[in-house]
Amino acid sequence: MIGFIKKDLAMIKSNFKLLAVLIVVYAIMGLMDKMDISFILPFMCVMIMISSFSYENYNKWDAYSISLPNGRKNSVKSKYITTILMTLIVSIITIILSFIISYVNTQTINYEKILVTMFGTIFGTLLVLTIMYPIIYKFGVEKARIGIFLLVFGIVIIGSLLANFVNLSSILKSLAFLEDYLIIILIIVAIIMVYGSYKISEKIFNKKEF
Amino acid sequence: MEIIISNSSDIPIYEQIKEQIKVKIVSNELKENELLPSIRTLAKDLRCSVITTKNAYEELVKEGYVKNVPSKGFYVAKINKDVAIEEQLSKIQQLIDKAIAIAKMNNIDKKNLSEMLNILYEEEK
Amino acid sequence: MENILEIKNLCKKYDNFELKNVSFTLPKGMIMGFIGENGAGKTTTIKAILDIIKSYSGEIKIFGLDNRKDDEKIKEDIGVVLDDMFFPEILTPNDINNTMQGIYKNWDTKMFNDYLKEFSLLPNKQIKTFSKGMRKKLEIATAISHHPKLLILDEPTSGLDPVARAEVIQIFQNFIEKDDCSIILSSHITADLEHIADYITFINNGEIVLSKITNELLDKYGIVKCTEKEFKDINKKDYVKYKKSKYEYEVLIPNKKEFKTKYNISIIDKITLDDLMVLMIKGEE
Repeated sequence: MIGFIKKDLAMIKSNFKLLAVLIVVYAIMGLMDKMDISFILPFMCVMIMISSFSYENYNKWDAYSISLPNGRKNSVKSKYITTILMTLIVSIITIILSFIISYVNTQTINYEKILVTMFGTIFGTLLVLTIMYPIIYKFGVEKARIGIFLLVFGIVIIGSLLANFVNLSSILKSLAFLEDYLIIILIIVAIIMVYGSYKISEKIFNKKEF
Repeated sequence: MEIIISNSSDIPIYEQIKEQIKVKIVSNELKENELLPSIRTLAKDLRCSVITTKNAYEELVKEGYVKNVPSKGFYVAKINKDVAIEEQLSKIQQLIDKAIAIAKMNNIDKKNLSEMLNILYEEEK
Repeated sequence: MENILEIKNLCKKYDNFELKNVSFTLPKGMIMGFIGENGAGKTTTIKAILDIIKSYSGEIKIFGLDNRKDDEKIKEDIGVVLDDMFFPEILTPNDINNTMQGIYKNWDTKMFNDYLKEFSLLPNKQIKTFSKGMRKKLEIATAISHHPKLLILDEPTSGLDPVARAEVIQIFQNFIEKDDCSIILSSHITADLEHIADYITFINNGEIVLSKITNELLDKYGIVKCTEKEFKDINKKDYVKYKKSKYEYEVLIPNKKEFKTKYNISIIDKITLDDLMVLMIKGEE
């Protein structure tokens, strides 16, 4: 199991440079108060995970991995664990940057906005990925790519439109009765989402012929 | 130790190996109690299959030239030189018998035949 | 003798191809050459052994255990080189080492690094920078560095030049000299196998045509070359297949010695695996 995760991390390490550049761009844009592009990091995260799939498909890693001990089980499991890890890392970076940007621009820290950003980030990324993975496992990256692209763009654009034009705090207020449990609810929904997607992918992978 | 194998010969490879090791034992190039290469090593070095070298060794054991010490390997056995040479002589005799038969069939006399033997024997040297 | 691999009545149906009752066994410590045309079913059989394809019928036992029930246990002791399937090429030999440490209990980092040195493979270079021969060597180093008891090699020499092919075969022979390992090696280049394979299993059109000790096959079988008149005299029981060409008949016979006592035909050639394959596939009964 650990081996499979190590492999997945090795796959994405070549993207770390690009990620670093984007973090800097994000920070500068934010500090100049030009535009909130907090979606850029999760978007990158999604792209990195997809490109790791396409490298694997190209060299038929999935079939090869089955020849390794516990390959059928761990191939899929490690992918999900790596994804959660990546999402968390990207989210933490986004949060830290948001704190800094918020403080530099307004000299105060807008906890509410940052909290929304955080959950938006984690949720958006996980949502896209959890929908995509079973599709990729079923059809392969090449065929799934177009669908994925539309999906990613749709969610990202709708997400950022919502964030920019809809008064999120009013929505939150109208859901005020849930406020106390909001975080718990979101966590539970996220867990159910990821777990369900994982189970579906596992089932697809187990039945797959190579 | 040199063993030369012909892939185009009609003689099976295990037999070629067997005969050549035998000659080396009889001629004392391989000495009593000397350890022979393992089945796998020999197969690797001769670029042949493991079964081939295994067959060769098994036959050598059967004929008493080699002894198998389990989990240690194959050693050159103590052989009765006379018996070994006797065996070679009987092989020669068989071949000469054939030559004589052909000679008789074609009315070639003894003198001619032994002359031929003398010349060929000298040439081989 | 203990069997490392036993396949019984393996069947698998595709739209345009079918494995039909494939059965054979590989005894311990032996090398089996698995030969046949491209598309004859070699890779499909190997994929079934490794459980890479599903929904086949029949029984496959490895180390005496069922290949599906005891999957995890069995695979600890198997090494594979598969045609076209490997680690993603943006990874490096070092990444492979790190990964395998976390996958095989017996992974031997020192052995792997020694092989990298021996094969002149730089540990920090991405796989995609390697030539085809280097890549194969890396695949082989990866397959044997956990001291497997069974090596499953699908076309490990395909696409290599004769020198690289000889090197690859030598690597396997060196390896089994030290580790007590059995090998099943598929190839359509039979010259590689003629010398080193203890057993030959020949598959054609999804069916096993024969599975025999190589020496027995090459020493017993022969090719008779004769005229039409001579051919007419040969009893059907005494040959396997024949091929008629413009000037002669080529007849595959299963027992040279016996044939010589029965017939007075002077040209009986030694057989190569290539001859055998061609006559078996193209010849008439």
